[in-house]
Amino acid sequence: MYFRQSGYYKTNYKSDMALLPLPIGQATAIGYALLFFVILPLAFDEYLLSIVNIAAIAVVGALGLNILLGYTGQISIGHGAFMSVGAYTAANMAKYLDAPFWLTLPAGGLMAALIGVIVGMPSLRVKGLYLAIATLAAQFIIEWILNHTPVISGGIQASIEMPRPEIFGVVLETQAELYFFILPITALAIIATFNLVRSRIGRAFIAIRDQDVAAEIIGINVYRYKLLAFAISSFYAGVTGVLYTYYFGIANYEAFQLPISIDYLAMCIIGGLGSVMGSVYGAVFVTLLPIVIRFFMETVGVFFVDGNYLAQVIAQMRLILFGGLIIVFLVVEPEGLNKLWQNIRNYFRVWPFSY
Amino acid sequence: MDGETQFLIELVTNGMLTGMMYALVAVGFVLIYKSTDAINFAQGEFCMIAAIFIASFVFLYGFPLWLSIIVVLVLMILFNVALERVVLRPMIGRPVVAIIMATIGLALMFRGLGPLLFGAETRPINLPIPDLPIIWGPLFMSPIDVLGAAISVIFLAGFGWFFLKSRIGVAMRAVADSHQVSMAMGINVERYFVIAWVLAGVVALLGGIVWGNAIGVDTQLAALGLKVFPVVILGGLDSIIGVVVGGIIVGVVEALAAGYLDPYVGGGTKDFTPYVLMILVLMVRPYGIFGKPIIERI
Amino acid sequence: MRRLGIGLVAATALAAGAIQAGGAMAGEIVVGIQCDRTGPTQTVGTFLCPGYHDYVKLVNSKGGIEGHTVRVLEIDHEYKVPPGMEAYQRMKSEGAVVVGIYGTPHTQALTPLLHEDKIPGTSPGFGSAAAADGKKYPYLFPIAATYWSQGAAAVAFAKQQLDGVIKGKKIAYIYYDNPAGREPLPILHKLAEKEGFQLKEFAIPPPGVEMKVQVQDIARRYRADFVINHLFGKAPSVALNEFTRNGYPLNKMVGFVWAAGESNIMGAGGWSKAQGYYCMQFAGAGSKFQVLDDIKAMYKAEGKDAPSEMDSTVYYNRGLLAAALHLKAIENAVKAKGGSADVTGAEVRDGFEQIKDFSLGGMLPPMNITPEDHEGGGWVQIFQVKGDGFVPATDWIQGYRDTVLALVEEHNK
Repeated sequence: MYFRQSGYYKTNYKSDMALLPLPIGQATAIGYALLFFVILPLAFDEYLLSIVNIAAIAVVGALGLNILLGYTGQISIGHGAFMSVGAYTAANMAKYLDAPFWLTLPAGGLMAALIGVIVGMPSLRVKGLYLAIATLAAQFIIEWILNHTPVISGGIQASIEMPRPEIFGVVLETQAELYFFILPITALAIIATFNLVRSRIGRAFIAIRDQDVAAEIIGINVYRYKLLAFAISSFYAGVTGVLYTYYFGIANYEAFQLPISIDYLAMCIIGGLGSVMGSVYGAVFVTLLPIVIRFFMETVGVFFVDGNYLAQVIAQMRLILFGGLIIVFLVVEPEGLNKLWQNIRNYFRVWPFSY
Repeated sequence: MDGETQFLIELVTNGMLTGMMYALVAVGFVLIYKSTDAINFAQGEFCMIAAIFIASFVFLYGFPLWLSIIVVLVLMILFNVALERVVLRPMIGRPVVAIIMATIGLALMFRGLGPLLFGAETRPINLPIPDLPIIWGPLFMSPIDVLGAAISVIFLAGFGWFFLKSRIGVAMRAVADSHQVSMAMGINVERYFVIAWVLAGVVALLGGIVWGNAIGVDTQLAALGLKVFPVVILGGLDSIIGVVVGGIIVGVVEALAAGYLDPYVGGGTKDFTPYVLMILVLMVRPYGIFGKPIIERI
Repeated sequence: MRRLGIGLVAATALAAGAIQAGGAMAGEIVVGIQCDRTGPTQTVGTFLCPGYHDYVKLVNSKGGIEGHTVRVLEIDHEYKVPPGMEAYQRMKSEGAVVVGIYGTPHTQALTPLLHEDKIPGTSPGFGSAAAADGKKYPYLFPIAATYWSQGAAAVAFAKQQLDGVIKGKKIAYIYYDNPAGREPLPILHKLAEKEGFQLKEFAIPPPGVEMKVQVQDIARRYRADFVINHLFGKAPSVALNEFTRNGYPLNKMVGFVWAAGESNIMGAGGWSKAQGYYCMQFAGAGSKFQVLDDIKAMYKAEGKDAPSEMDSTVYYNRGLLAAALHLKAIENAVKAKGGSADVTGAEVRDGFEQIKDFSLGGMLPPMNITPEDHEGGGWVQIFQVKGDGFVPATDWIQGYRDTVLALVEEHNK
């Protein structure tokens, strides 16, 4: 018989500070770990795993942006540019120093964090629209610099080839191998974010988001924490960029242009601002949506549209549905997929006595 | 006069003309921001979709240009009224980023809608004006730029008058200043939101015609939207004059950068210098050259 | 709200079912083509891809390749790289034996994967020029003039237009300021040195909707004797307009292959506004080709009108080129295997390298793809805008072939 106890009472500090205080939470976490580390790789073929890989990489970037956007309330439309910073850092290290991934990943993240701090500097003085446009400017300026500095970007094509990651002498090539390279990093990013947002830093971020003047009055150094938020967010973006680079086998700024930054914004908003799981749902949703729409249209569309015209309709409908869904989410469920999921869960939790 | 001076004069005049045409696109953005606090990232797409409809009506259905413009004007107004009711009104008071994202969603829909309805061909909008340059003393201007600049000056002056003198304009300024006080004074705030969006639609239509004539019509016309941001930030979001000045600054800076900076750095600096300038201005005057600072209260 | 949730779940389940339904059927050959029907260069993709489909349809209607039907898997990637990767994985999972890539960044990202998976990929008219070397890039086939070949041909044409004397002349190179736009620079520099002409570069930053200053500079400060124009997307139309407005004659300008479509001319205001403009093609422009008549006849037999995309002959014909070469390579592979449909990517790769003197009734240059030369000779044809269409101004030409090959070799060392 399934039942819930009336409460879970903590008797020592350790259990009070645990990441997953409830047994059901621990069970869920173990369930997820089993699902993703054991069942998925066995059940999925190369193609499905490649989708999971792209989604898993996107999760890292979405988490980073959500720390900045959802928790600290600072807009950034330059997330893609930070990814390219990480990507080129890693690619140069791999090219000139033959650095392995456990060096390039943090280095790419740190370099992006450094640039992120510089870009975040106007955030002391400006917010809202002005900050949005300042970060948009950062996107263009970073792109331009990468595009025109052959020393960094490796010549006319502005691209550097990246060797596949290597663990204990094994070169990771297939999607399944890459999956086991990407997934632990994604898992680490999720856990780290969970811990970050419940720490002193995370609470300071939330205070700044809710009311920055008030936060300053209660003794939070707003400027320092804003910069810290930019740094952390850009670190995540840098790591995302490095992961993309390993995944693509090439660092190229054209893979990180404005549309990508906008995709990440969409992930945060659709998933739910200021929620860790929301970023995960959002990243998965935005990655899968075009693919799902395409499969859907390929299956169903033939009944409505002439075969010749179908490909054109699929491509355009994908854009329309994507844009439309963003708007529907914003109007109908502003707190995103995370809230939606909570609603569903709560409905069943109290079912059948929902009052 | 030697060649270099001549070239400089040409750069500056043409930069100014182009800047006025940017201002025409930017003013739609400012109109909406001023009165509804919404940040419209889809301003370029509004111009694009208006231009696509006009060009497609002319080319696919054989409408005369003037008829097609009127039809699209009506469509734009109806659409913007609906848009304001269905999407933007429920979003009043939401965080800035939510409204940005909603307009980005709208932008994506427009980008899909145009090609879905009419195909992705590039189509011209041919206004009855000559192509050959007007040479007037040391000035060397192309007619479309002069016309575009003239249209934008006329309309911007019109808007200036509208905001300063007309009853609706004064009410809109009041709404922009404070929604609550306006409501207390008996102004129907929501009505003025609709008016702001409708006006923005009309401006977008004009921008679409002028720019569509200059560069042809397809979804890439929406790239104009990115030019708007340096213009509005440099000029400040609070005044029509600011938009014109911002537009002229951006136009001239672009022209000078392309004329004198490009040869030294080996790349196109034109689109990126306005952004750099904008960042510098933000550092010194966070609310733009003509903007007024906002005092925040808890 | 709950309804939305249930709808989402249902849609996901439906799509998951559809994913499982994929996979190649027996006797069917799958080809993959990546497309850009949305995104910044959609004016290309919306015409190129229908051309590809129609050619495959034509071949299928005539009994397919040795009796096997060909299925096209087209995926639109909006010119973003991650969706392009996903598209490639899907094509691989459905057993595609050749992948038509679209986009320079995509080509670069996919090159290592093509080698690992042994699937040939084609990048007609874009991508890295060094990929023409089949020894270094065994699975990448440019199958049309690369940017270096285009650059060399442009210089050769400029020389011809300047009555054979290019030494000391002023050539302006106006280009889209991204990696693809800069790609021809090495060959242009090399030729400038070799032929002794002045070369000045004018970068147009993306998206290139405004270029008054650069054109003014070319036309009236630098006073170029000839202009080489390598712009994409919206920029070529803007360039045509600006050159006219600055009083620069369009017959002193030659455009690269992506500045040469009907859409560029329409964007400039129509044919009358672009009279005299020279541009390059790697597949013939116009509708006077046998294969186009065959396609029209095929549609007529079905009782349908020919698709309106056929009016945009430049990009449509390029779609035909890609399809024709893909299917020719598959045909070679199938023949080598004694008529079996069960060909692998590696066999199709060999099939590409056996393509000899293939010209699709004059629409293509005489294509000879060899294990060394995956470019097929680097032929282009210069067309001129005259009346209401493109008129050939030259025959198929190769410009400074030795210099290009030497540069490729030097680069790949």
